[in-house]
Amino acid sequence: MTPEFHYSVGWRASGAHPGTHRSGHLGSGHEFAGQVPFIANPDPRHLDLRASLHDPYGQLMVRSFRQRSAIPVFVVADLSASMGFRGMADKLENLARFTASAAYSAYRTGDPFGFVGCDEGIRSDLLLPLRLHKSAAPDLYERLRGLSPAGRSAEALCQAAPHLGRQRALVFLVSDFHFPLDRLDTLLSSLTRHDVVPVVLWDSAEYERLPPRGLTCVEDPETGERRRLFMRPSLREKFRTAFEQRRTALIHLCIQRGREPFFVIDRFDAEALTRYFYQT
Amino acid sequence: MTLGFAEPWALLLIALAVLPWLKSGQRALAYSSLALIPADPLSVLLDRLLRLAGAAALLCLALAIAGPYLREQWVERIGTGAHIVLLLDRSSSMNENFTGKYLGARPHESKSAVARKLLSEFVARREHDLFAMVDFSAAPIYVLPLTQDRQAVQAAIAAAGGRGHGVTHIAPGLAMALDFFTGRPLTGSRIILLVSDGAARIDDETRDRLRQWFQETQSSLYWIYLRNPRGGRLSEKPANPNESTTPEYFLHQYFQTLGVPYRAFEADNPEAMQGAIAEVERLENLPLRYLEKLPRREMSTWCYGVALFFLLPLIAAKAMEVNSWAR
Repeated sequence: MTPEFHYSVGWRASGAHPGTHRSGHLGSGHEFAGQVPFIANPDPRHLDLRASLHDPYGQLMVRSFRQRSAIPVFVVADLSASMGFRGMADKLENLARFTASAAYSAYRTGDPFGFVGCDEGIRSDLLLPLRLHKSAAPDLYERLRGLSPAGRSAEALCQAAPHLGRQRALVFLVSDFHFPLDRLDTLLSSLTRHDVVPVVLWDSAEYERLPPRGLTCVEDPETGERRRLFMRPSLREKFRTAFEQRRTALIHLCIQRGREPFFVIDRFDAEALTRYFYQT
Repeated sequence: MTLGFAEPWALLLIALAVLPWLKSGQRALAYSSLALIPADPLSVLLDRLLRLAGAAALLCLALAIAGPYLREQWVERIGTGAHIVLLLDRSSSMNENFTGKYLGARPHESKSAVARKLLSEFVARREHDLFAMVDFSAAPIYVLPLTQDRQAVQAAIAAAGGRGHGVTHIAPGLAMALDFFTGRPLTGSRIILLVSDGAARIDDETRDRLRQWFQETQSSLYWIYLRNPRGGRLSEKPANPNESTTPEYFLHQYFQTLGVPYRAFEADNPEAMQGAIAEVERLENLPLRYLEKLPRREMSTWCYGVALFFLLPLIAAKAMEVNSWAR
C-alpha cells in the first residue's frame, strides 16, 4: 500500500489544466474574482443582478471566478553512490518509497508527475516525463529499490532544471545532501523558478547509532577513499555534533532559498510530510 | 660481517612489508560521505601505528624465515678462579734435602716436606681456585679431582708426605693432570703446577700428544724445579748435552715449544722455592684474559619473538574490529 500525503503550495498555479491548487486563471471555481461584463464572460449562470442594476451603463454583469489548476510535481533524486548506504534502513528503499508516494499522491491530487534521477549525468533510463501517470508509483518503486547506485557524484542535479519545464512546479529535491554547501547553493539557484522542497534522507546509523567502540574502516563509495576510525563515545559525540551542525546549516540555507528542508531519518513518514505542508 | 642468513632468498619477502601501507586489511564499511566525518587525530595515529606494526611484523617474519645467525666469533673473556692441578714428584730423590744429602737430612728439611709445606700455604691462600692433585713417580697416582674442598686438598698434600720411591717419569703425570681439564668449560685459567726435582726423557710421540693436549685445554704450565746444587741449570746449555744425563735441560726446551704460557722456576733452597711459589701466585692473581670461541647463534627465534610483539597489537585490533553498522 503506497502511503499518500497531501501537499499545498502558497502560490497560484499558472497552468490552465484544472486541478486542486489555486490558480490565476479565471474559470469555473469558487474563488470570486470580480464582476465582468456579460460580453466578457457570457455565462448566464453567474449573472449578478445586483451588480447589473448598479451599473451606470446598464450592462449585464456576471461574476467571474478563479479556477483551480493542476501544478506539475517533480521528484529530482540524487542517485549517486552515497545513496546506497544501508544503516538502520536502506536509503534507496526510502528514496523509492518516497518517490512512489509522491507519484501516487500527485496522481490522487490530479497533478502531473515527473521524475528526474541524477548521478554524474541525468539518468535517462529512469527519466519520467511530466504526465498524469496512473501506474508510475509501483513501477518507480520497483525500479528504484532494485538500483545499485554507482555514480561518483551528484553533479547532474544542477542540470536537472531544463527537464522541469518553464511552468512553476513543486519540486521534491531528494538527496542526502552530503555535498558542499556552496554546491547546494548553486543547485538551489538553478531551481529558483520552482517551489523546491529539499527532502533530506539521512540514516541514524550515520551519526547516532554508531558502534560504541571498536575499530572500523569506512569507505567513501563515491571517491573510494578509506579511513580507519577508532570508534569510542567521544568520537560518536563528535559525529553527532557534526551532523547537528550540518542540519542547522542545511535548514538555514534552504530557508534562505525558500523552504525548510524535510528530514527523512530512517523511515519515510507520509503523514509527517502532510504536516510539513500544512504547518507552514 | 658477523651476520649470516641460512635462507637468503627469503629476504625478498621483506618487500611484502609495504602491504599494510597499501591495504588496511579490514573489510571496509560503506559510509555515505567521508567529507562529513569529523577529523579524529587519535584514529589517524592508531591507523598509522597499526600499519607500522603490520609492516614491522612482516619484516620480522621475513627476516625470521631467512634464518639470520651470528657467525662464530672469538670473544675476549676475563676469567677468575683458576683451576690448578698440583703435580707433585714423589720420586725417591724428593726425600733428599737441597744439598743432595739423603742421610742426615732432617725430615722437615727434605725437598718433599718443604714442597708440601709451601704448597699447603699456597692452597690456603688461594680461596677462589679449584685444586686437583696428582702424584707421580714411575707412574702417576690419581689423588684428587678438581675440587674446592680445602680440607680434602690439604689432606691430599699431607698424604704425599710418605716416603718417596721410584724414578721420575714425568709424561704420564702430565697426561693425567691434563686429563682433568678435557671436556670442561673454560671458566678461568688452567694451571699445572709441576713440582719436581728432575726430569726424564719423553719420546717424540708422547711429546706431540702432550703438546696437542696442552693446546686443546689451553693450560699453562709452571715448573718449580727443585734443583740439586750440583745439577745443571735449565737455562744453561750443559757441557755435554745428552738427554739421559741432563734431561731437565731438554725438558725445559720442550716445554718452551708447547705454545702455552710456561714458566720455569729453579729453586735450590727452601727460600728460593718459597719465592717461586710466590711468583706463581702473583702471576695467577692477574685476571686471565683469554679468547673464547662462541658458536654461531641462531637469531630467528628473536625475530619471531619481535614479530609476535608486533602481531599482538594487530590481533587485539582484529578482535576490536566492528564490521557492521547494525548493533
